[in-house]
Amino acid sequence: MIRKIFLIFKRDLIVSTRNFITMYIIVVPIIFAIIINVFSPGINDTTVEIVLLKGENQAQEDFFKQFAKVELLDTIEAIEERVIKRDNIVAVLPHKTDDYFILTQGNEPEYIVDYVKYLTTFEHFDIGMEDSMAEIVDYGRDLPPLKKLMVNAAMMFSAVLGGMVIALNIVEEKTDNTISAIHLSPVSRLGFIAGKSLIGVFIPVVGTFLMLLITGFKDINYFHAFLMVATSCIISILIGFIEGINNDDVMTAAGNMKLLFLPLFGSVAGAELLAEKWQPLFYWNPFYWTYKGNNLVLSDSGTWIDILTYSGLVLGISMLVFMVLAPKIRKGLE
Amino acid sequence: MIKVKNLYHSYSNDESYAVNDISFEIEKGEIFGFLGPSGAGKSTTQNILTGLLQLQKGEVEVAGFDVKHIKNKMFNKIGMSFEQSNVYNKMSGLENLEFYRKLFDVKTREPMELIKMVGLDGKEKIKAGKYSKGMKHRLTFARSMINNPEIWFLDEPTTGLDPAIAANIKDIIKEENRKGVTVFLTTHNMFIADELCDRVAFIVDGKIRLIDSPKELKLRYGEKLVEVEYFRNGELLKDRFSTVVEEEKNQLIEVIKKNNVQTMHTKEATLEEIFIKVTGRGLV
Repeated sequence: MIRKIFLIFKRDLIVSTRNFITMYIIVVPIIFAIIINVFSPGINDTTVEIVLLKGENQAQEDFFKQFAKVELLDTIEAIEERVIKRDNIVAVLPHKTDDYFILTQGNEPEYIVDYVKYLTTFEHFDIGMEDSMAEIVDYGRDLPPLKKLMVNAAMMFSAVLGGMVIALNIVEEKTDNTISAIHLSPVSRLGFIAGKSLIGVFIPVVGTFLMLLITGFKDINYFHAFLMVATSCIISILIGFIEGINNDDVMTAAGNMKLLFLPLFGSVAGAELLAEKWQPLFYWNPFYWTYKGNNLVLSDSGTWIDILTYSGLVLGISMLVFMVLAPKIRKGLE
Repeated sequence: MIKVKNLYHSYSNDESYAVNDISFEIEKGEIFGFLGPSGAGKSTTQNILTGLLQLQKGEVEVAGFDVKHIKNKMFNKIGMSFEQSNVYNKMSGLENLEFYRKLFDVKTREPMELIKMVGLDGKEKIKAGKYSKGMKHRLTFARSMINNPEIWFLDEPTTGLDPAIAANIKDIIKEENRKGVTVFLTTHNMFIADELCDRVAFIVDGKIRLIDSPKELKLRYGEKLVEVEYFRNGELLKDRFSTVVEEEKNQLIEVIKKNNVQTMHTKEATLEEIFIKVTGRGLV
């Protein structure tokens, strides 16, 4: 039985790569990852960059290198050209007297300019790390919140894409009239449904893992990530089957799948923007629990108990939906 | 190989039956034709026999399996060629057969052997979506043989095929039958039924009106006449003579002796004529 389930999955995967729409859906998570990297600062990209005149003040150069990324150029003109470029690099240049001035493009964030001001002052007065009495306390948030939110939403989006591919494959089986041929082979109805479902897990899991690697989430617990993605796929798979059964046209089926984006983005907005007392309004929504679980996965702060609790809630809600939709799916595939 | 007893089926789950109390048995190695016009209940019966439709009322046994409690193993023993071709358009002919053969638990036939058999060799790597209607039909037909079925369900196997290919398909059916395969042939083409079937059943409005061999039916319902066209005094004449009435037999001999005979045919009834005579209905 397992062999036949994988045969059906393999067929779907091969055929999906031959169809432009499904091929596009498969690569969407990678496109997301690239977009997220472009539009949000990366985990390791938060270092302040300073450009200095080469050989002008070795002590200052050494001091700055302890706290920022330092770039050295030969002439003032070269430094001016460098500062004008798109990124947030700031120049520290010698004035006519023996003090220094800070050259900026003008659109750098205020905290970057302040940071360079402080560094220049500390170096001038010879203040080092040993002179500080401060103790650093943080909340463990070592990645930009916006980036985490975007990756989290993209992970849930990938789960919906898996359902979309299922819908398209079912429409293909219907238009080719091949379901009856499968039913006349020794593959059970359940085996057929399981085989068709696998691609709805495979695409989101592989897509999410690639997205996590591309966006720099290399050190999180990937078993936690797998569990959250796999459970969040179930609801999309079920809707994918229903849309495939109810539609004879690929575009309509894909279009109807977009309805799932409403509870998906609603859960993100609800969890992020609404007060605690309104949160129970979203408890019915599996994407809400997925979002919360994914947050723990991405910040690598969830225990197995946390992840199992959230994935268990998603699984439970999905099973209720399954009980309602299973007879329709079974009948629709007759 | 197939036993059907008091089979009923209603699509509306009421007393309006698409198949109404039909019973028949098919022996191993027999070619059984199931003949009737559109909507007569042929496909419904075939779909119940193959498990595509759920058995509602009656007893059906196929290849030793009770269709009421169908087991997946049964599908290793049956094959079906559908009237409407149903192959994966985005896969090549060869890929279609390779995929399907792996779904079975029994020894299967080599896909290329089947592709050659139906005349698709050289086109096996082309996607089925680019095949013509007839080529898809042949691929569907080839696929139905892949598991060496003991019982072979054929639904209009030569529809839409040109005469040469249709003849090839008929030869394949005869050859497989010679090897011991039982054939359940659903068609409204009486010529194919006449040529291939050991027995035929006429079904109209969900009821079987008659089951017998084509030969017996012709003897029972055909007229024992010979029609002759001949020239006498430069004029073409046409006459019919009984082959059982002594006087007409002698007249026939005289005509043959004294005239230039152009054509001479026995006037057996065709299956279509018998069908109309028995059921009062045409086949379309």
